[in-house]
Amino acid sequence: MMRAAFLGAGLLLAAFGAYSLLRLGVGNLVWSLIWLIGGVIVNDALIAPVALGALALGSRSLPPWARGPVVAGAVVLGSVTLLAVPVLGRFGAKPDNPSLLDRSYGVGWLVLAAVVLVSVLAASLAARQRAMAGAPGDHG
Amino acid sequence: MRQLIPAEDDFTSRLRSPAVAARIGRWLGICFGLAFVTGVYSHFLQDTPTWLTLPSRPVNLYRWSQGLHVIAGTAAVPLLLVKLWTVYPKLFAKIPREKRALALHGLERLSIAVLVAGATFELATGLANSAQWYPWSFDFRSTHYAVGWITVGALLTHIAVKLPVIRAAFGSDVEAPQAADRPGMAATSTGLSRRGLLRVAWLAAGVAVLATAGSAVPLLRKVSVFGVRSGDGPQDFPVNHSALSVQVTRLAMDPSYRLKLVNGDVTHTLSRAQLLALPQTARTLPIACVEGWSASADWTGVRMRELLHLVGAPPAVDIVIRSLQPSGSYIVTDMPANFTAADDTLLALKVNGEDLSIDHGFPCRIIAPARPGVLQTKWVASIEVSA
Repeated sequence: MMRAAFLGAGLLLAAFGAYSLLRLGVGNLVWSLIWLIGGVIVNDALIAPVALGALALGSRSLPPWARGPVVAGAVVLGSVTLLAVPVLGRFGAKPDNPSLLDRSYGVGWLVLAAVVLVSVLAASLAARQRAMAGAPGDHG
Repeated sequence: MRQLIPAEDDFTSRLRSPAVAARIGRWLGICFGLAFVTGVYSHFLQDTPTWLTLPSRPVNLYRWSQGLHVIAGTAAVPLLLVKLWTVYPKLFAKIPREKRALALHGLERLSIAVLVAGATFELATGLANSAQWYPWSFDFRSTHYAVGWITVGALLTHIAVKLPVIRAAFGSDVEAPQAADRPGMAATSTGLSRRGLLRVAWLAAGVAVLATAGSAVPLLRKVSVFGVRSGDGPQDFPVNHSALSVQVTRLAMDPSYRLKLVNGDVTHTLSRAQLLALPQTARTLPIACVEGWSASADWTGVRMRELLHLVGAPPAVDIVIRSLQPSGSYIVTDMPANFTAADDTLLALKVNGEDLSIDHGFPCRIIAPARPGVLQTKWVASIEVSA
């Protein structure tokens, strides 16, 4: 019952969206498709394999106590850097409008990276101590 | 020989489980749901169907709604990345031979493809738009809107298909084995636990919001190192499009400028000096941009209903506002009757104690409660009662 309701509503909403998209014309549709399909390709063929490679490398070269903190730091810094690409590149900046993109985004990124790095180091050292202390008679 | 394309069972991490995917999916669903509702509201404000009346109260409604729209989309970026990582093995799932199974498998893959394409499209184009970056040739607003419906439709379809798996996932502890886990999954993790991965996803989403939301939430201004606006600008607030960019400077600075009020056959013209001689009203109202940033300012000017009175129109009446700007978008905008009647809808002449600067709409601009910035027409040329 609930499945049928979700399915029905989903198909209806998607059909309305598809109709709205088609109404915008062929040129609009072609550009939209490039971006729609491009997003899937970028994730499946670029971001995912790079993440897999980094993970494989990390799990081989990092001691176990550092793995959690390093993954956490990489996910935070990586995803936030990705979503900051439009401001980091300042692609939309306009010389006649200094109030747009008016921060030092490069400096901001360095600050974020430093905070992440320090947090990862601190968490790794804490995890290492826990591992050392817990090693003889492991309770956990 | 090792194969270049992996099989689903080659992935052994126990983090890639429906137990994780369902929990991240729940928050992704909340983010997309919020972005969808606020997005439809924003779209209807700019393109109001005749059967719909949108509220002019609370005055900050659009500011909150559009701020939430961009915040929800931003938080969804790390969540979507982690979610796609957990379900990545599914991309390499075995394709069944039997016809009925093959058809179902194909349909499910199609719905997932639409969902992933739509979700990445909405987040990527939305983020680029908020930084005024347009590396495409489709119309942003109408396309982002259409794909929003497609994406939420695909999301509901996905929930319908996965409902038994989702129920099972929420019915047991996150670390417990799931019926839908892959057979070759490792029993233990050498790094993060599943709970740990969830915490990392929440942390990344939180950092993403803190790093950007300052454009909409004044308290976060200092920490939002990736905010598209610091909140500064001429007369203490940002400008969306400058006078120069829409080539309006000469027309707006012309001393022979006259505002034209039209109601059928009745026409009335007013110079800026004459506008200043009319009763002035002061109000604090936000400029809230579709791009998610907002800023509050103190406006002084003439109430819209007093201007309408000059041409014999009632306070609550649909009007058309035209800008002097020769190029750009939103040169002509409609304002519904409930907004013209609001006692804080002004034709502003001053802001924050000074005459409007040219980039903020000199000689006069519209400022109304609970409306997107693009409808707060600058460099107003005429106000006409709709026939």
